[in-house]
Amino acid sequence: MAEVPQELLAKLPRTFVPALNDQMRNLDSLFPAEQRSIGEQVDWLARLPDARFRELFEPLKALEAKMDLPAWDVNTERLTIRDTGILVRSPYYPQWRSDVADIFQKIEAGVNSERKTPPANRLVLCVLPGGLPLRSEALWPRLEKQGRWIGIEKPFGQMLEPFAVAVASRRPAAGLEPIERTWALEYRSQLSGAQAFAPASVLSFDALGPVRREFLLRLNTIHKDLRSADAVLEDLHRMDIHKLLPVGVEQEARTREFIRNLFLSGNGSMLFGNSFVQWGAAEVIRRAQPQALLCCFGIRPKLKPFSSVVLFEDQNRANPVADEPDPEGSLADTRLLTEYVYLSASQHPAFAGRTVHLFAVPEWNSVLLLAPPQFSLPSGRRLALADLCAGVTNWLA
Amino acid sequence: MPGSAISRRTLFQLAGSAAASRIAAAEQASGPKPSAKVVLVTLGGMRRQETFSPEGVVNIPHLCNDLLPQALFYPQTWNDGVTSHFNTISSILTGVWQHVDDWGKDPPAHPTLFRYVQDQLGVNAAGTWVVTSNKALTANIGPGANVILSKQLLVEAVERIIKGYSSRHQLDRDMLLEELTTVMQDDYERIGWNVASPSAIMDPQLKQTFMSALANFIHGPEAPTSGDELTCFVAQEVLRRVSPTVLMVNFSDMEVAHSGTYSLYLRGIRKADILVHRLWEFLQTLPDYKDKVTMAIMSEFGRDPDGSSTNGFFNHRSNTAANRCTWMMVLGKAVGKPAVIERPVRQISMAPSLAALLGVSCRQADGGPLDEFKV
Repeated sequence: MAEVPQELLAKLPRTFVPALNDQMRNLDSLFPAEQRSIGEQVDWLARLPDARFRELFEPLKALEAKMDLPAWDVNTERLTIRDTGILVRSPYYPQWRSDVADIFQKIEAGVNSERKTPPANRLVLCVLPGGLPLRSEALWPRLEKQGRWIGIEKPFGQMLEPFAVAVASRRPAAGLEPIERTWALEYRSQLSGAQAFAPASVLSFDALGPVRREFLLRLNTIHKDLRSADAVLEDLHRMDIHKLLPVGVEQEARTREFIRNLFLSGNGSMLFGNSFVQWGAAEVIRRAQPQALLCCFGIRPKLKPFSSVVLFEDQNRANPVADEPDPEGSLADTRLLTEYVYLSASQHPAFAGRTVHLFAVPEWNSVLLLAPPQFSLPSGRRLALADLCAGVTNWLA
Repeated sequence: MPGSAISRRTLFQLAGSAAASRIAAAEQASGPKPSAKVVLVTLGGMRRQETFSPEGVVNIPHLCNDLLPQALFYPQTWNDGVTSHFNTISSILTGVWQHVDDWGKDPPAHPTLFRYVQDQLGVNAAGTWVVTSNKALTANIGPGANVILSKQLLVEAVERIIKGYSSRHQLDRDMLLEELTTVMQDDYERIGWNVASPSAIMDPQLKQTFMSALANFIHGPEAPTSGDELTCFVAQEVLRRVSPTVLMVNFSDMEVAHSGTYSLYLRGIRKADILVHRLWEFLQTLPDYKDKVTMAIMSEFGRDPDGSSTNGFFNHRSNTAANRCTWMMVLGKAVGKPAVIERPVRQISMAPSLAALLGVSCRQADGGPLDEFKV
């Protein structure tokens, strides 16, 4: 699919056009799952009879007519921060948001009803960092109600790398491009340093330090007005980041743009390693939709006096106070963020109902498993690494 | 109250037996009518599940145990406007839902409580103050009032050192204080945001007063890892030295939630709990305020629920009860009899209610005064 028919663009609600144009303009930087999805949606809408098309969009168009929106037309390329601000502070914005969600639900249902290939099985693994001050209380009370703890023959920290390698080097499933197979997001550079894990797409917060610091530097030049913010963001969208990325990552254009958008979409991903892992996972689930996703959290440093009040800065600059780990704070952070990874996956149509979730602590001889009933592992004994790898790779085959 | 909200009964049980003696003391307060004062404290986004809920009360012991028993408490206070900082606080201050620029480029589209008080009571600028931590606010939040963007002051001083814009190159206490002094005295207008100056202190003589107070703060036991500590400190100085008729204070340490650090978000809530209590206790030590002041505390909004498409506690954008349904607490002179008012109310009722205590009318407000306020 190269472009959206002009007649379709002209029929769509005004608020849809800039975002759709933006996606079409950057189609090459979208992942295969996104390209398929846009193609299917546009195709479905283009074939929709006029009466049903009007029925789908008329309420939203009527709402838009009451909103004091900028003069977007079929040529508007994207929404600026200023545009978004105008939309969001409209008194009709909550209704607009709800209507848009309804429309996409209907489009998705229509597309899904025509889809012939069943979606693939998936895996999401979340690993907390070692050295957390764990207590006897339940670690993930809400998740534990839905799953069960599985005994393993040695602490998971000793299994992580070989397990990850087994997942990354499994036999490719039919119909998936390499970039849709295995992703890992990590705070420290553990898996990204393992040669055998190379078939996977790995993003490490630590290894992305140079690009994060450059972005922060430029973001700190924003004056407090929308024109300045739009100009700096435009500049960051165009900036060549090749040389700032780790070897291997810089070659893949889609991953490169994913990193750029991840950092520019906020949610702390430039500042805190665990936020990077969680928000990165949410975006990977939404966009790349890989069959296997591994998330490795870490222990963040304590905030420093003085410089920590300036969050969008490297708090080590000009500060004589040494870095000190914050295991207590990291425990509170990562307990919830792992749940957020689970919630992102369990609510995404490609993952819901067909994903095996594993939650692990490096020092523990057990993992928490939440899985569809069809997934099975040998029972009656502590699992060996080979059992776990076989169970998971069979599920993904 | 939605979700796992705490019940009225539980709230009073949590409050303990201290309530009875405090209520009795409050009822005995009578005599000649003093001139009224108003302190409004707004807090950044905090969800019910981390505050007034069975699992959340651990984060707000002062609000729950010390303040609630003597308060009017509205657990269902709705924000029906734009759930951004500038628009929400503008709405609270004007009594009209505001839809203005979120970056504070423009003032609210209707008069604020400060303007009504100035116009109807003949109070000058020194009688109406804003001291705020939130970086999303500008001096436009209170046109005509003194506005101190206290955290912005600290942030700018720190930034100038770490970016090498200053002759001081290391972030220790003395150098930071020197930088703050420079910012306050010399670079004050020059280094501000280009839409408004970082502070609108109209009486230059007050600056010196603040400088000596700031020195005590920087060298005190609370190293400034928290912008809200500084805000509370500056607010206390304003109360002590200027005795304004209306003071609005804003605490926002919990907004670190935008960065996804749950532990720091909780720490921000706990800090706010300590600071509002400290502020209330401080007011009781000031003759100009004791028995004359009404202090209202309210959260601007909640935050988004876990599992929302807006990434849960990180943000406050969703059209959900978790985000829109918040609370407010009223202490002091306006409290006839402490009570939990379970009727849903709107945030835009606050300005008209506080104004009524001062004998002022917010003529353009959409919200009306709350019946429970003892005028």
